[in-house]
Amino acid sequence: MKTVLINGSPKRKLSVSSYLLGILRLWVRGGVVKEQIRSKKDHERVLEHIKTADTVVFGLPLYVDGVPSHILAFLKDMESFCREHSICVKVYVISNGGFIEGNQNRPLMQVMENFCRRSKIEWCGGIGIGGGVMLNVLRIMFVVYLGLFLLNVVLSGAGTGNWLPSEVAGNFAKQAGMTLFFHLGVFFYSVRMGMAVNKGKYCGEKFTRVLLPSFLFILMADVFFVIISVFQGGILKGWLRKK
Amino acid sequence: MKAVIHDLNEEYERLLREKCEEMISANGRYAPCQGCFGCWTKHPAECYMKDSLQTACRIIGRADEVIIITDNCYGAYSPAVKNVLDRSIGLSTPLSTYRGKQMHHTLRYGRKDKLRVYAYGDMTDAEQETFRNMVERNAINFGFRESEFHYLAFLDELEGITL
Repeated sequence: MKTVLINGSPKRKLSVSSYLLGILRLWVRGGVVKEQIRSKKDHERVLEHIKTADTVVFGLPLYVDGVPSHILAFLKDMESFCREHSICVKVYVISNGGFIEGNQNRPLMQVMENFCRRSKIEWCGGIGIGGGVMLNVLRIMFVVYLGLFLLNVVLSGAGTGNWLPSEVAGNFAKQAGMTLFFHLGVFFYSVRMGMAVNKGKYCGEKFTRVLLPSFLFILMADVFFVIISVFQGGILKGWLRKK
Repeated sequence: MKAVIHDLNEEYERLLREKCEEMISANGRYAPCQGCFGCWTKHPAECYMKDSLQTACRIIGRADEVIIITDNCYGAYSPAVKNVLDRSIGLSTPLSTYRGKQMHHTLRYGRKDKLRVYAYGDMTDAEQETFRNMVERNAINFGFRESEFHYLAFLDELEGITL
């Protein structure tokens, strides 16, 4: 079985779409190819992979309530390609938006389902995830936590001979536990989708989010953008003003 | 002020130009959004890519009413029109609020009157339903008080429409 994972984010690195496809990949059996579409020049290469695939999973960022424009252009090419070569792949989608509510991805799902109908390929459902940017921050923080934990283990072991002080282990367990908790919805539906991909079955359209209350998420998102805007200078260039 | 975004040919563009104050021609001769958020955090309401959409968000932001005329693409805007919208998020700010009981960005240019969308081309019932939902979502997202969606079975119907 061959599965093509298509990262639809235009970002070169650290995209949430790529991260989410990476989580799904852990549960998908058989040959897996990971591709990215950033512009028209990627179309032909990706379509050649689709020609021999059983399953295609799109990882998409939500742009203005829908599919990003460069992916809409790809879908049109893919429709022609599938019709021309009588291709019948199964299509799944994992989409993520910056807003906390996962169901803001619903119109994107509907567009992808309509695309499958037009292309005469099989729509197998998807996951719409809210709070995508925070998932990215969480994964970076987890790497930092892990780095600090290992550093503490080495320093403690070399200095006192105790390689796993309970305080260091406890702190790391707490941090890892929090990260896992925020991801629970994402992990649950990713495992579910992975199993559906392996069986070639419809997985429904499911919506989940970073497990935080929305008012807290909004506060954290605002703080995040203030910090980024200070570092990038936008805050001094009429940050909130009409132009 | 009324602004029109369209993906029609020059003949229709001439017809529309007489009916509105501002026009964005979605001709596809520009780059897609790179998702960098620079139009929020680095150079507000301006894209770093120096093409015809660099300050498109300001045209949409200043308009009281926005009219979009687009080819149907699976119940969504054509890629060229969607590109214009994707590159226009600078009309909001990076800060967030609740609107329509959901999280959205605060508006740099305040609330607007109406978003009207005319979609043409072959369209199934399911696609019409999808498009209608999408336009309602977009209206909330961009801060329009009202929204309308119309399907044009024939493009000629445009001539009879009052913009």
